[in-house]
This record gives sequence, C-alpha cells and structure tokens, in this order.
Amino acid sequence: MTRIGCWVVSHLTRLLDESEREIVRGDLAECQTPTGRALREVLGLVLRRQAAPWCAVEPWLALLTLVIPIGFLLSHASRSWAEGAADEILLYGRLWDFSYLANPGWRADLISVAARMAAAWLALIGWSWTSGFALARLSRPTVWLTVTMLCVVVVMATWGTNTIAHLHRHHGPSLQHHVTFAVFPRLLRMFLVVLPVVWGAWWGARCRALRVVPAVIGVLLLASVAVVASRGLENSMSFGRGVLPADKGPDGFVVSADDPRPLWFLSLVMMWPAAYILVEATRERGTRRASGA
Amino acid sequence: MQLGEFEYLMLTAVARLGDGAYGVAIRQEIEDATGRPCSLGALYTTIDRLETKGLIRTSMGDPTPQRGGRPKRMVRITPKGTQAASEFYSAVMRVSRGVAWSTK
Repeated sequence: MTRIGCWVVSHLTRLLDESEREIVRGDLAECQTPTGRALREVLGLVLRRQAAPWCAVEPWLALLTLVIPIGFLLSHASRSWAEGAADEILLYGRLWDFSYLANPGWRADLISVAARMAAAWLALIGWSWTSGFALARLSRPTVWLTVTMLCVVVVMATWGTNTIAHLHRHHGPSLQHHVTFAVFPRLLRMFLVVLPVVWGAWWGARCRALRVVPAVIGVLLLASVAVVASRGLENSMSFGRGVLPADKGPDGFVVSADDPRPLWFLSLVMMWPAAYILVEATRERGTRRASGA
Repeated sequence: MQLGEFEYLMLTAVARLGDGAYGVAIRQEIEDATGRPCSLGALYTTIDRLETKGLIRTSMGDPTPQRGGRPKRMVRITPKGTQAASEFYSAVMRVSRGVAWSTK
C-alpha cells in the first residue's frame, strides 16, 4: 500500500468501532492488500455499518418529524429574528442618546425591544438544544448524521426567501449594510442554533435521560419564552415564504392583537422535542423505581 | 433457523477451519470455494448477524507480527450453528435430488 493510500485507509477506518478498526487494519496488513482494493473494502464496510441503523424506524422518525420540520422552522425563525435584531441595533446605534433613558416612553420601548429579543433568542437556543438532545435520544447510532442534516436544513431552508436585506437593497452595497444584514444573521444563527443543536446532541449521546425535575423546569421555562416568541415565529414564515400575506384583522393594522393567527400551531411543533424529553424523563424515573423496588 | 446462502458458506468455512477460523482465513476459504471475491463488508456484517442469531461465537485472538501487532477476530461455530447448517445442507440435497446437475 502506498503511503498516501495507507493514510487515507487509516483515516477511513476511524469511522469504525475501535475494536473493529484494529481487526480490519490487521486483516489488510496480513493480506498486503493493494491500495485501491483496501480503499474499496474499507469504504464498503463503513457504508454498511453506517447504513445498518437506518433499518430501524427511529432514525426515520427523527428525520421526518424533527430534522425536516423543525430545521425548516428554525431556519426561518433564526434568519428573521437575526435580521430584526440587526435592524433594531442599527436603528438604536444611529439614534442613541442617553437622554432617551429619562423619557418613560423611550425607556418602555427599549425594555420591550430588549425583552422580545431576549425571549426570541432564548427560545431559539432552547428549541435548538432540545432538538439536538431529542435526536441523540431517538437514535444514538445515527445522531451525528441527523445533526448534520438538521444543520444543513437550517442553513438551506431560507434559500431564495424574502429578507430584510433584500428590502433594504436600495441603501446600496455598503460595508455596514453587509455586516448588519449578511454577517450578523449568520453569526447569530451559528451561536443560537447550530452550536446549541450540537451541544444538545453531544449531551444526549453521553448521558441517560434527564431527571424529571430539571426536565419539567426546563420545559416550563422554554414554554414561557416560546409564548412570547410565538408570534415572531409565525411572522417569520409569513414574511420569509410570502405564502400568507399579513391579515390586518378588524382594526386595520398589521401586527396588532386582533390579527388572525392561522399558523398558531408552529410553537407547538417546536415544543415537541421538549415534550419528548419530558416523557422520556418520566418513563426513565418509572423504570428506575421499578428496578429499585 | 433460516439461513441465507452466504451465511451457510460462512458457517461451513468456520466449521472446516476449526480453531483457525478468523477473518482472513474465512474469507480465503469462501473465495477458494466459490471463485468469487468476498468483501470485508460482507464478511464482518455476516459475522455480526450470525453471532446475533447465536450460530457462532467470536473472541479476540492474539496479535501477530504479520498483522502489525493487531488482534484477530476468532470465530467458532455453536451447536445451534451446526444444526442450522446441517438443516440447510439437507434441504439443498433434498431439493436437488433428481435434477440434471446433481447427478453429474
């Protein structure tokens, strides 16, 4: 085997279990397998090993009920909220004056913007973390593949949809415009979605089910920020996809309390990984009690 | 116990090799018998499947210098495996009785 071939085969075998990796490397060394054949052999074994868990229902369940729908919603919500935040930060940055804090109206507005933003960001982190955790719990052998798929869906699902940057294109291609509407949303998506998904998956793959009390507290906290963020999630779909033009409701104003909310169920969809974690924690406690009794 | 053709070939190779049955030797035995290449993927996934069915048992063998100091996966057939292979062979013999190629 050539040196490069040896290096590639050695790296490819890292995708196998540690015990099997050594056996396969030993077999190749003993047979003095040529590079081309060794690559084909190891690749074949790796593919078979990676494909085997997909014969079960769990990875498909994870893919169809979590990766695709939740990845799609996370993608829209994160992009929309990141752009919204960029817009607010840009506006406050341009107009900022400490004397505003003395004005009760401005102060209330600032607090309201900060609270909405914080709730939205916390909801994103919570939904992403619970999604990663649920992916790991649903199917541990395929977790890194499904997590990668989820991240790909998050990045790709908003491709070609409406953006605030698109609406502001008449401002011209300035560096500030690019940083605010292109770089900042991507960074935010990385820190609020991708990293929490990976963190949740890592946690879920390493530990057993969560304890009931922390799970209940976590789900309640997530549900409370989700209530605040729910309208923003619905608006992100309406705006990004342009499928549901804003309905003004009886008062004739958009984004007011009486607007109809045909997509009200989206927050419930986002909460299902958290609900799954809670059910699993409860079931685990039952099993522990039964084995202890 | 239902067996596939490749599973039967492997059980036969393991039984023939006895204490010397491990990955490379089994593969060589199957390739010599059938004249077809046997891939590592087919070999080790079938070994796993047969072990899950309880037809073989595997253990780690000693490392050898020609393997770069790496261990072998030794394979032994179980009584259940012997019975399954025997039933498969009997079925093949019964179904082949009287056909042109069985009388050659």
